[in-house]
Amino acid sequence: MSKVTENPRGNCVLGGINAVLGAIDRACPIFHAGPGCCMQTSAGESGQAGGKTPFFVSSVSIPSSNMLEKEVVFGGEDKLRSTIQGAIEVIDAKAYFVLTGCTAGIIGDDIVSVVDEFRAKDLPVYAIETPGFAGNSDYGYETVFKVFLDQIVEKERPKQKNLVNLLGIIPNHDPCWSGNFEELTRILNKLGLEVNTFFTQHQGMEEIKNSGAAALNIIVNPWLLKDAAEQYETDFGVPSLRIVGLPIGATDTTAFIRQVAVVLELDTVRVEAVIAEEEEYVYNYLETAIGVLSWKRFAVVGDSNMAIGLTRYLANDYSFTPLLIILTEPMFREEDKERIRNRLTSLEYAKAPTILFESDQYHIAKALAENEEITLLIGSTNEREIGLQKDIQCSVIFFPITDRLIFNRTYAGYRGSLTLTEDLYDNL
Amino acid sequence: MGEIYSGIRENRPHTFNDLGDTSQNLEQDFNKGCLKKADRSFAQGLQCQQINSMAALMSLDDSVFIAHSPQGCIGCTTMATDGFRVGQAHRGVKLIKNPRIIVSNIDQNDVVFGGEKKLQEAITYAGERYDPKLIFIFTSCASGIIGDDVDAVIRDLQQTNKALLIPIHCEGFKSKVCASGFDAAFISIAKYILNKEKIKKIPNLINLFAPTTVSYKDQLEIERMLATLGVKANYIPFYSSLEKIKKIPAAVASTSICKVFADEFMQELADVYDIPFSHTVMPIGVRNTDKWFRGIAKIVGKASDAEKIIEQEHARVLPEIEKIRKRLQGKKVFICGGTGRSFAAALLEDFGMELVGLETPTYNADAQLDIEYLNGIHKNFVVDIANMQPFEQINLVKRLKPDVFIGVPTWAARLGIPTTHVLDMKRPTMGYDGILYLGNKIADQVDNPGFNVKLAKHARLPYRESWYTENPFKYIEE
Repeated sequence: MSKVTENPRGNCVLGGINAVLGAIDRACPIFHAGPGCCMQTSAGESGQAGGKTPFFVSSVSIPSSNMLEKEVVFGGEDKLRSTIQGAIEVIDAKAYFVLTGCTAGIIGDDIVSVVDEFRAKDLPVYAIETPGFAGNSDYGYETVFKVFLDQIVEKERPKQKNLVNLLGIIPNHDPCWSGNFEELTRILNKLGLEVNTFFTQHQGMEEIKNSGAAALNIIVNPWLLKDAAEQYETDFGVPSLRIVGLPIGATDTTAFIRQVAVVLELDTVRVEAVIAEEEEYVYNYLETAIGVLSWKRFAVVGDSNMAIGLTRYLANDYSFTPLLIILTEPMFREEDKERIRNRLTSLEYAKAPTILFESDQYHIAKALAENEEITLLIGSTNEREIGLQKDIQCSVIFFPITDRLIFNRTYAGYRGSLTLTEDLYDNL
Repeated sequence: MGEIYSGIRENRPHTFNDLGDTSQNLEQDFNKGCLKKADRSFAQGLQCQQINSMAALMSLDDSVFIAHSPQGCIGCTTMATDGFRVGQAHRGVKLIKNPRIIVSNIDQNDVVFGGEKKLQEAITYAGERYDPKLIFIFTSCASGIIGDDVDAVIRDLQQTNKALLIPIHCEGFKSKVCASGFDAAFISIAKYILNKEKIKKIPNLINLFAPTTVSYKDQLEIERMLATLGVKANYIPFYSSLEKIKKIPAAVASTSICKVFADEFMQELADVYDIPFSHTVMPIGVRNTDKWFRGIAKIVGKASDAEKIIEQEHARVLPEIEKIRKRLQGKKVFICGGTGRSFAAALLEDFGMELVGLETPTYNADAQLDIEYLNGIHKNFVVDIANMQPFEQINLVKRLKPDVFIGVPTWAARLGIPTTHVLDMKRPTMGYDGILYLGNKIADQVDNPGFNVKLAKHARLPYRESWYTENPFKYIEE
């Protein structure tokens, strides 16, 4: 059930699926959709996630059947067939995913049958039947995992004790997705673990196929991938550990390491040595700039994963005062909201902030306007307006970001917390 | 209005959107009437008309923009939104605003039961929240196919709504030419705002139609040029308002900065309000700028003034152009862009560059004039009539080996060729000043191609090696 929304943060299912596929090495989406969907979905996801474009195909370089009136009236399966054929001839991809736009979804084209013709020739073509109107891009992210689990992950792969799947960070949506994967991978590698992210370091189809061999899924997200976690467990015997919010800073990152270490029964001496070394690294810097950031009462507007990490770091490790946290992605399960609320209110010293679940820009701006004590607003480019109206510091950290360029920047883990602190510095 | 023109560009006579050949063959075939309607059996994504409809209006004051669509259909508003924010900054606005975009968020339920209730809700929100003067409602593929009666919803709600409710019928599947979306916007402006009402003329006022791709610097340059003729421009619809739109019939003449923007609308203004118009070229490059300027000067009765001003401008910019020409003379260039033909003419004439390839979305009688001109001063070059289609472009660029590529740089840059993006929405391109900026930008890239050269050693393009040996127009079928 989608609601009428002002300035929604995210695209349709198609946009979510396309964003994820764009991060898989040499994966080629093929749109069976209207003429603008390739551009709209790319602009709406990676286009607002810090200025990067997926290198392989993106926007107007994505193969598309560009369904016009003729296809709407007579069906577009022939057009889809020749589009897939052309894509295979022209584009050197490891896998092709056929996506369903609203147009194809409403008129009921049978894309599975068309895709099966290519599969019969042993070509790596996969059908994704979920049409654009079925939900938002978060749902698109989950849909891709369903496709992985139903169609791609291989059974009978030998189990690897030291292999983990690192999930929950949404590529081409979270502006720091690749940097965040890199920092958490660095930490997990130090613990002696191999990491499947599927989306960084040229990972892709092979890692997805082999993900059933992992000892553990580490889902760094407070609510997404509930169904995927269950399916990994039942179909492939891979259990999941949910990390409720991106770990940022020494406290939460150390806790993250210990959680992983307990589940995987890692060597305690090694684990504690890593923790000591990493905390030392962070505090070596923090003690060189004491009191440089002035005291702030802050509000956060953004997706729950990053909002939790950010709020907890600033409140627990940096002694800023959290006042108002607005979680912007639409959520439908009360249990998810409860988990997020708990995590945001169980702070060490700070008083619990007000928590709001709100996706609509008008209501977000209104809630911010009504709170007169905020001196630091951390949100998206959309929040600049209310920041200017309130005449307070506004730091743009969250999707959508259209006024910063972000390559490998990370706010996650130990090192990311230093970058975050740098970015919050304000000499005014 | 609907009865005057349909707003679907490919329905115009002698208009072709899928074509590839040499410029000489094209010129002959068009003259002989041998060109045929075609389609690509394999293609990459296009830009839909809804993107253009929304972008054209997004900077209007006191307006709310409702997309009656799923959430994905406002993806590209991020570009118009960024342009609007930066445009405000350039115009000295301190409290920079977001455009108010509301999406009705058509979902599975609405596809089955209809989405009209959610559209009503969106319209109500728009009024309650912002008390706007204008509420635009943009249709989508989904709303069109499920058959929501947007006009009826609006007729109903208009009776109790203070704001003017304006539907824009821009369903993506109706046209493969994105510029149709501009027409859809103007059709509705004519029908719902102007309504054939005649108002008192304002001496020396002209309508200056400008799409979103025009930077503030370009606006200033065009307005400066018009001021030398003693005319005042009503700049529409970019950064304008209901009041300025209502003033359209008061103008004594109209012109457009873009060749595919407001052309049908200006014809309608001529038919209904007796407003003469000039529809020449995009004012890029000295020759085109002269042509554009003479066009509007003639209509406002200032033809001889224009000649004096052109002479002064030439005295000012030609020595600078000569310096750039020395750096670019004889360089082979491939050009891709919506207004590629104008650029081509400009670059050939001003900078002495040699055209080897041209990619542009539409071939019609207008294009034929440009191609005839280009063929006259130039040997054979390749023409690809395509809305982007990077797979054809990269095949051609690799074959033709230009010294410089002008257009969206994403792909050609990875071949190591110096690239320059022309349609810069934030920086100058147009008029006598703009060509200097553009020329220096190109020349600097040619002089110092280091980034692209090094990039090419590491960059990855998605195409099979075999594709580069294929006929680039293989998938165009009649």
